Amino acid sequence: MEQPSTPPEELHRLATAIRLRAVEMVSAHGLGYLGQALSSAEEFAALYSVSRAGIDRIVVSPGHYVIGAFAAAAETGLLDRQALSSYGYNDSSIDAIGGERSPGMAYTCGSLGQGLSAAAGFTLADRLRHEHDRRTFVLISDGELQEGQVWEAAMFAGHHALNRLVAVIDANNSQVDGPVDTITTIEPIAQKWESFGWQASEVDGHDAAAIYQLLQPAQTSRPQVIVCRTSTRHGLNCLPDSADGHFITMSPELSQAALAELMAELDNCNV
Amino acid sequence: MYEPPYRTVLKPYGRALLALAREHENIICLSGDLTKQCEVDLFRDALPARFVHAGMAEANMIGIAAALAREGFLPFVHTFGVFATRRPLDQIINAVAYAALPVRIVGFMPGLSSPGGPSHQAIDDVALMRSIPNMTVIDVADATQAGQVAEATLDVPGPVYIRLKRGEIPVIMPPEHRLDVNHADVLTEGSDVAIFASGMMLPVALAAEQVLHAHGVESSVVNVAVIKPLDVATVLATAASARAVLTVENHSIIGGLGSAVAEVLAESGLGRPLQRVGIRDTFGEAALVANHLFRKYGLGVADVVQAAWRCLGRDEPVPLVPVIEVTEGEYAPV
Repeated sequence: MEQPSTPPEELHRLATAIRLRAVEMVSAHGLGYLGQALSSAEEFAALYSVSRAGIDRIVVSPGHYVIGAFAAAAETGLLDRQALSSYGYNDSSIDAIGGERSPGMAYTCGSLGQGLSAAAGFTLADRLRHEHDRRTFVLISDGELQEGQVWEAAMFAGHHALNRLVAVIDANNSQVDGPVDTITTIEPIAQKWESFGWQASEVDGHDAAAIYQLLQPAQTSRPQVIVCRTSTRHGLNCLPDSADGHFITMSPELSQAALAELMAELDNCNV
Repeated sequence: MYEPPYRTVLKPYGRALLALAREHENIICLSGDLTKQCEVDLFRDALPARFVHAGMAEANMIGIAAALAREGFLPFVHTFGVFATRRPLDQIINAVAYAALPVRIVGFMPGLSSPGGPSHQAIDDVALMRSIPNMTVIDVADATQAGQVAEATLDVPGPVYIRLKRGEIPVIMPPEHRLDVNHADVLTEGSDVAIFASGMMLPVALAAEQVLHAHGVESSVVNVAVIKPLDVATVLATAASARAVLTVENHSIIGGLGSAVAEVLAESGLGRPLQRVGIRDTFGEAALVANHLFRKYGLGVADVVQAAWRCLGRDEPVPLVPVIEVTEGEYAPV
């Protein structure tokens, strides 16, 4: 089942819009998971452009990255844009860490390292039912590679040759305690996955068109992983050098500057 | 009920699950490298397309099962009780229970029935599973119940933890017995002691009831197979009709059946002396045979009789418990 391809300009526009929505959501609270949205905006733009709603699935393994998923869903018509204004508030289903009540979630994550098992399980379900057209995508953060369950799932998917499973790793080198590479050495990432029986590729994670190309259905007998090298500051020049990648504080002034910068960029995209 | 020594059978659960799976195509069987030990070699050999080797990776196994359940399958996950509950606790809570998914987690070798030492002795699995919202917890008493538990829980919408003895399984209940997930089973009635027992401790409680009866003490023995949700009405009615209450479980006295009954009694304001027979907040140890551990850690018939005596405040010496002789293939409590 083919669908029209998305041009690079549209992917860039979508990524910019994801950043803008994320800034809006975080600014309302003065702090939040903005760095994750900034590092993964192109990944979400590509994923939501490739994934066929109602057929394919997108699992967001780091549950706090759901801000990017909500933004992407709103920008692709899967979620009412108005709903984003309730992000993180009491009694809102637009949870800051995606939950069972949150819309559009294929599987509740949040406790890190669980999403790949879910995606492998969905892919296995399709195989058991002989539904060979469906694909399952899973976004994983590089910090999650410290969790043992990721490698249990990677070994399982490799063994079962779950070739309709695609993992996108947001390698932003950021975790709560600091840069991932100062906490544990997770490199070489791609080689690790290859040795587990996966087809691995590595890209500039802010090149949405490159990710989009790699997400296209491929003739392969193996599960596929795309290691996206990213930055938690990408696409928002006004962020000060001191901004913490995991949990960014947004003063009203910074919020105003960020909104202005992204709206101007979005205007450029729409020209 | 049959009388001890009980005859034993092999793989009553495994045979029943296979039969049920033939009728219900959405049943998937997962195993964590303990396939024969969990009786599902029968399933693996008969329905290989619906059998999944998860290997020694319990966290992933639970995650796979959760995704299968979301897709409309009914996954049965098999390993020993320790590995089924301790290792993937976070996955069970977040991926399965929070989503109220119909995953069946089947943990074999309960409590001190394993002579393998603390690493293999599930003395806390009921407590762990009971504390999780949406979870149903069942401690299966005998082969008849083991043969029925998969079907009896078929319509339970959320997750179920099923605790099963491994190996030779005693037949205590006749074939016409029906495991009822909504009701505890009052097996004997007496106005002195109410004995609530689950799983492998049911035959212990029944043997104790006979010893007590011979010494003028009448007991109600209630088989509480379903520890959660607890049949509160039966627990309260039975406790109210007795002067003292005993709980008997092959599990820590913290968090399991004893705690569940104590909570209900306390909250209802029903004051009865209560003794919890179980593993007294200690780890077990390795041994050659499990019977030794049952005696050493207070899980024998004499321990139940003694607890009843204590509860009732009797002055006479505690009655002696006759040894039930068994031949090969038979089972009796120690």
